[in-house]
Amino acid sequence: MAHRHRNFHRSLNRVAQLAAMLWVVMGMAMADDLHVPASVEAGQAFSIPTEGSGQATFYVIGPDHVIKRGVNLGSEIQIQAADVTAAGMYQVLVCSQACSSARFEVKAAQPAKLSFFLHPSRVPVSTPDSIDATTLVFDRYWNLVLAPAAVDFHITPATGAGTSRKLESHNGIAWMRMDSTAHEGPVQVTAALGSAQEPRVIQQVAAEACGLRMKAVPSGKSVVLETDPVRDCSGNPLPDGTVVSFTKVDEAGKSTVDTPIKKGVARTQFDLKGPAHISVACGVVLGNEVAVNGKL
Amino acid sequence: MRTLLAIVAFTICWPWALTANAQELPQVHLNAEGLAPRPIEQLTGSSIVRYYALAWQAMGQALESNLSNGVGDAFTGFAKERLVRRVAEQAQAGLHVRIVDHGHQVKALFYSTDGTAMQLTDRAELEIQTFDGNKLISTDNSAHTYMILMTPGADRWYVRDLEEVPAARP
Repeated sequence: MAHRHRNFHRSLNRVAQLAAMLWVVMGMAMADDLHVPASVEAGQAFSIPTEGSGQATFYVIGPDHVIKRGVNLGSEIQIQAADVTAAGMYQVLVCSQACSSARFEVKAAQPAKLSFFLHPSRVPVSTPDSIDATTLVFDRYWNLVLAPAAVDFHITPATGAGTSRKLESHNGIAWMRMDSTAHEGPVQVTAALGSAQEPRVIQQVAAEACGLRMKAVPSGKSVVLETDPVRDCSGNPLPDGTVVSFTKVDEAGKSTVDTPIKKGVARTQFDLKGPAHISVACGVVLGNEVAVNGKL
Repeated sequence: MRTLLAIVAFTICWPWALTANAQELPQVHLNAEGLAPRPIEQLTGSSIVRYYALAWQAMGQALESNLSNGVGDAFTGFAKERLVRRVAEQAQAGLHVRIVDHGHQVKALFYSTDGTAMQLTDRAELEIQTFDGNKLISTDNSAHTYMILMTPGADRWYVRDLEEVPAARP
């Protein structure tokens, strides 16, 4: 008895599944009857003609919006501009006895907004490919504009002439690498597309020290050491706080003092025990050597 | 033993065919070949796969249950706003959507030098069933193509933009 009951339920389920599939397939077969545009621009109203007569339920299912309302078949269904602001694929369904279904694409509208990243925020001067600029192109609804768009990059250093570069976005992204210029100071990079402009500023700082030199002034049993103004190879002064290392070797052994640049120069003092050799370095750059109470 | 096998499988598959947790999360395979301007690190690739799979899981649950509680763990920005709005309007209309996820073939297209944005494209095999109440009104079993923008947060990658596009793109 129980076995017969189970079989009956199985058959019933099978019939229900087949009916559901048939109903959906019928709906698919009617899909050709629903004429929607292949694509529309975001924020553009349009209409969908329907065929037949009587009442039906109309659905639009989009990325951020769902519409369900009753419609009269045979009339045109109006889709408002506000219904299609998010880019993506939308599904339209019209259901009466069965459902007709169709899909259409909403494409981003014209480029109107930019999102701009400039990296890094500080960069040494005269360094090739050291600055990265990335721009994302959006329409006024913040849809990524996947169609190519021309983005202008205006580069304005603190001194000297500015330059421009035009790039075409690919899948909504335009990016470039550029060299830092020879002079320290702020550099403004502006990404522009139509009326949309996004300025960003990075700070160019002096590169490694160049031609590092110190002088030694003996004073009794000690020596005072002072560098010349510490500059990079483009003549930009290294910022105060940059560490300069002085190393002394004498009868007492080896001794190193790290001292920050103050007002453009680094200064320190060593006590001496016998003849001494003293060297200076800043980062990976070695300066001159001096010998005190001995020969150079 | 299973863990060991999983580690071996993961090592063999990296970097061109990463697979997320097969039990509960959708299958996601990532291809990051020729990625520019910055190549992808192994850890980043694993994170992308994991959090993209989590995003689909969260979206599937939200669209089926009409509850968007878990969406914020995987989506951010406009993608989150749009999905939350969709779920709310879907609930209001009495609809729900069931996604049977058959897997994602994801290709990384762009990874910014500073690591703040990655663009991907996904060819997803999905069966999407739309219900009005308990009535099935539509079923679609086909491939869908998506353009995705992911950005890193404090401890994970988020989907910042998810847009379905016609199959021809990109």
